[in-house]
Amino acid sequence: MSDPRDHDQPDDSEEEEDFNPAPADASDDEGNGAGDNDDDVESSPRQTRKASPARNEAADDEDDEGEGDEEDVAGANDDDEDEEEEDDEEDEEIQGHRRKRARRKDKRSAFFELEAEVDDEDEDEEDEDDAEHEGFIEHTEAGEAEQFAREDDARHRELDRRREMENDMDLEQEAERLKKQYGNKRSARGMGESAVVPQRLLLPSVDDPSIWGVRCKEGKEREVVFSIMQRIQQKQGTKDELGITAAFERGGPNSVMKGLIYVEAQRQTDILQALEGMLNVYPRTKLLLVDIKEMPDLLRVQKTPTLEPGAWVRLRRPPKHSGDLAQVIDITDNGLEARVKFIPRLDYGLRDDALAATTADGKRKRPMGPGPKPPRSCSARWRPERDTPGTSPTNNWQYNGDEFEKGFQVKDIKIQHLTIKDVNPTLEEVTKFASGGEDGVENIDLKSLAASLKDSTINVTYLPGDVVEVYDGEQKGVVGKATNVQGDIVTMEVVAGDLAGQTIEVPTKGLRKRFRPGDHVKVIGGSKYREEVGMVVKISEDRVTLLTDQTNTEITVFSKDLREASDIGGQGSLGQYEMTDLVQLDPTTVGCIVKIDRESMVILDQNGDKRHVMPSQIANKLPRRKLAVAADRNGAEIRPDDVVKEYGGMGRQGKIVHIHRTYVFCHTNATNENAGIFVSKVSNVATISAKGGRINAAANTSDLSTMNPAAKRPEAKNNMGPPKQMFGRDRLIGQTVTIKKGGYKGLLGRVKDTTDTHARIELHTKSKIISVAKTDVVVRDSVSGNVIKNYDSRKPGAFGMGRPGGDRAAPDWSNAGGRTPMASAGSGGRTPAWKTPSAGGAGGRTPAWNRNGDGGRTPAWAAADGSRTVNPYDGNRTAYGGSGGRTPAWSSGSKTPAPDSFGHGSKTPGYGGSGGSDPWGSGSKTPYGAAPTPGASGGDTWGYTPGASGGSGAYDAPTPGAGLLGAPTPAAMNAPTPGAYSAPTPGAMNAPTPGGGWQSGWGADSAPTPAAAAPTPAASGFSYAVNAPTPGAWAAETPAAGPRYEDD
Amino acid sequence: MANNFVPPGQHRYLRACMVCSIVMTTSRFRHEGCPNCEDFLHLKNDTEAIESCTSQVFEGLITLANPARSWVAKWQRLDNYVQGVYATKVSGQLPDEIRSAIEDEGHVYIP
Repeated sequence: MSDPRDHDQPDDSEEEEDFNPAPADASDDEGNGAGDNDDDVESSPRQTRKASPARNEAADDEDDEGEGDEEDVAGANDDDEDEEEEDDEEDEEIQGHRRKRARRKDKRSAFFELEAEVDDEDEDEEDEDDAEHEGFIEHTEAGEAEQFAREDDARHRELDRRREMENDMDLEQEAERLKKQYGNKRSARGMGESAVVPQRLLLPSVDDPSIWGVRCKEGKEREVVFSIMQRIQQKQGTKDELGITAAFERGGPNSVMKGLIYVEAQRQTDILQALEGMLNVYPRTKLLLVDIKEMPDLLRVQKTPTLEPGAWVRLRRPPKHSGDLAQVIDITDNGLEARVKFIPRLDYGLRDDALAATTADGKRKRPMGPGPKPPRSCSARWRPERDTPGTSPTNNWQYNGDEFEKGFQVKDIKIQHLTIKDVNPTLEEVTKFASGGEDGVENIDLKSLAASLKDSTINVTYLPGDVVEVYDGEQKGVVGKATNVQGDIVTMEVVAGDLAGQTIEVPTKGLRKRFRPGDHVKVIGGSKYREEVGMVVKISEDRVTLLTDQTNTEITVFSKDLREASDIGGQGSLGQYEMTDLVQLDPTTVGCIVKIDRESMVILDQNGDKRHVMPSQIANKLPRRKLAVAADRNGAEIRPDDVVKEYGGMGRQGKIVHIHRTYVFCHTNATNENAGIFVSKVSNVATISAKGGRINAAANTSDLSTMNPAAKRPEAKNNMGPPKQMFGRDRLIGQTVTIKKGGYKGLLGRVKDTTDTHARIELHTKSKIISVAKTDVVVRDSVSGNVIKNYDSRKPGAFGMGRPGGDRAAPDWSNAGGRTPMASAGSGGRTPAWKTPSAGGAGGRTPAWNRNGDGGRTPAWAAADGSRTVNPYDGNRTAYGGSGGRTPAWSSGSKTPAPDSFGHGSKTPGYGGSGGSDPWGSGSKTPYGAAPTPGASGGDTWGYTPGASGGSGAYDAPTPGAGLLGAPTPAAMNAPTPGAYSAPTPGAMNAPTPGGGWQSGWGADSAPTPAAAAPTPAASGFSYAVNAPTPGAWAAETPAAGPRYEDD
Repeated sequence: MANNFVPPGQHRYLRACMVCSIVMTTSRFRHEGCPNCEDFLHLKNDTEAIESCTSQVFEGLITLANPARSWVAKWQRLDNYVQGVYATKVSGQLPDEIRSAIEDEGHVYIP
């Protein structure tokens, strides 16, 4: 049994380096053992030997015995011979070997004492060959040999004794050691030592039987193997015992060795003989002799990939589900079965019909068969109402013997019926699992997905130029540069060490890429970090830690998955989407892309939630609006790129990336969470610094919101954010101006750019751009050089809250005002202009005028008032003007009633006086109300943050509205005032707008007030009416209003 | 030596011992136990033990006619076992208690 090994072992240990294919004779010996086993005659001595396990001194013992029992052995051998005559020739041959060897050993020990020392069993091929010859000789001259042996006996003994003396101590120690080492292994029969012998020592030698490949019928490999077994047993003990020692198959679904079995035998004829007449195997075809070197490969075993819960697999077994993706839930203890869940393929109706048919004719028995291939049930939703014998509160179902859990079919499936490798689940498939989550929430486990993707892309790719290191094999430690890659072989030029300059070829298996800290690398392999780019910060073994460019986090990946990165921060776009893009997820949700993965991205939505989405889930990408404007909580204007700080909350500070309605998406460097993006409400941030040094009027003037009556109303606060100071392009830009004050006083120049308070002026005299306060410039006609006074009005604050009309009106206005001959006459002169119907547009502006009400202007206004007094409305206006700019005026009792009356409609009389246009004017004028509406109708809504929309709307879109409204109001002058005050009016306007089909969310957001004011869109008309009691006005406008709504 | 032949119809009942990887039918395991490992596996008449110590998942059958002489047997470390049919690879894991009972690492099931 194991003695050959035992012999080998000591050999091995004693003369480690020249280990010689001892297995050869081991097997021979074993052969003997086996043969003896069957041979009753000689079995006892053999068996004693066999039974004494781990007798490593056996060698010596045997020698002694050999000498002592020479005759016995010989006799036994003779007996053997007799029996063997009938035996198979090969057996005989082997027996002969043994016998002869035993004797030869003795003989040899006489001549070569040294060699005979310990490893008498250690024979090399030469011996083997000799053995054969000798065997032949001995066969014929057996008796002579015996005699010879006897003669030698004395010398033999002497020799042996001496040798024994020499080695006694050593051997005993050795035996002791070996016993200790291996002895206890014996307890487990048959195992033990085999585990100890390194497999490389078991490599086949030329003495081992050869292996031939024999063609057989594909799929019948196992049967053939069993047939061979059968035949072996049949023939065993008979004279034509088969000469083969083993046969095996490596078939299997994925094997390349299909259709072949391998037979191990000493001679080819044995195989032919053994397989003769056997089914499914074709020994007559060419036998493939397997090279010795390849023999171990035949038996190589691929390690079974281990399954873990959560992994993705494909089903093979329920034929209906073949190829379906499934997820492993659990694995049985012995690792043979896995509990998987997958999407059921149920065909409710069809199957029922099939059943019915079956029962009807009773012939077709296809009770559960797949039937007509049911379409994949795309929805993982289980429809219990149709076909569930049993329901359970836990959402688990039993149906037709199958279990269902939460919409998935759950089944225990043997591992061999699962495809574990190369699963390659697509995101779509996985999504189905995810969307079927218990609460319907999408919870794709991108991690496990990534893991299974990783599994599928194990192969490493080397490219010429990669710096690689050999970490396994003989060339271990060699570093070089790959010059060529062919299949699994990388040709590398060694750059360091003894082999420097040489070119060697290395299998990729033992190769890994080499990086240095500081290298800029990109993850190319299939880890979940794929596509990340970063800098190597640490390397240990083949694990590389890098600091990603994008998120500044440390990730650890295998060096095989890395490549030197040529592009910096390469990643960051997926299709048309890029980092920090603003995208529309659904009509009410927008988000900012904060992370982009291979197939999905992470989006920070307006509510601050992170979402994993796929590109397909994005409705559209919102273009970045450079001109988007909003008002911060102080009423100051904020635009993209401004730096703002959250008020309260986390107090984060960042640069505005996007403004969307009332939300700002900001980027901060303070954190790398969400790539530094955070979202906040505009009303919750305060400007820290504006881009380009733009100074917010809010900083200079008092808080607008405190001045704005509308904004003061609590309920109005949200939607009526403070108006912006400036809208769109400042008209001043491009104008020719002279400088009134300062070192550059008197110089002429063109305005290149403006802020709220300052203008950058390119001087005509010398090419220089200087910054001058807007108040210090005088606008001149670029041709005539005349001063254009109107521009003053555009100074900061000029467009204050009163400025409802929107900026579209402004151009008109400026035109009208500026162009009017009277324009030059100053404010007083302008007043008429104001009054003139042509100033209809200006009507909207009127409040603005009020607002203008800087100290300087006020008097002018007052004057205007005076002059205007002619007009019955002047009175109104005056009051207004006073109210707007001049708070005191406001506070004055006289004025107060006016607004009040407006608000309540009590003013109506006054209004009535102003004429039908009044209400309209008011409508148009309502700074906020009006503004949003047009905004909405213009379709710009989207672009505007709600808060901003009030403002920007007022300027962009409103214009038409303002135009419409403004135009009708010839008496606009009066009207505006009310407008400014009558917050409700805007409300009315607004409310309809949302009703008009715009998103309710929007409406709610931007104009809660309107909702309050006039919840029913239809009511809007009434609200109008309320505001503008003047029936005439109403009637007149209605048509105008009509179309507008329709537009909406 | 018992008959190692298994007719094709019985192939579905084949199991491989996770220790020595011999392949036999379930019933044979039950009646005879594992010829190599019976000493410590005690599979005889113990269906449960058979379930836990043998596996239906195996690959690569080997017919061993002469375990002692065959290189294949040696390579597969089957050379101390009895004649029979073995598997090159047996999937599955022995229960821990059994494994500790076989207090050495000589499992062959994943060579």
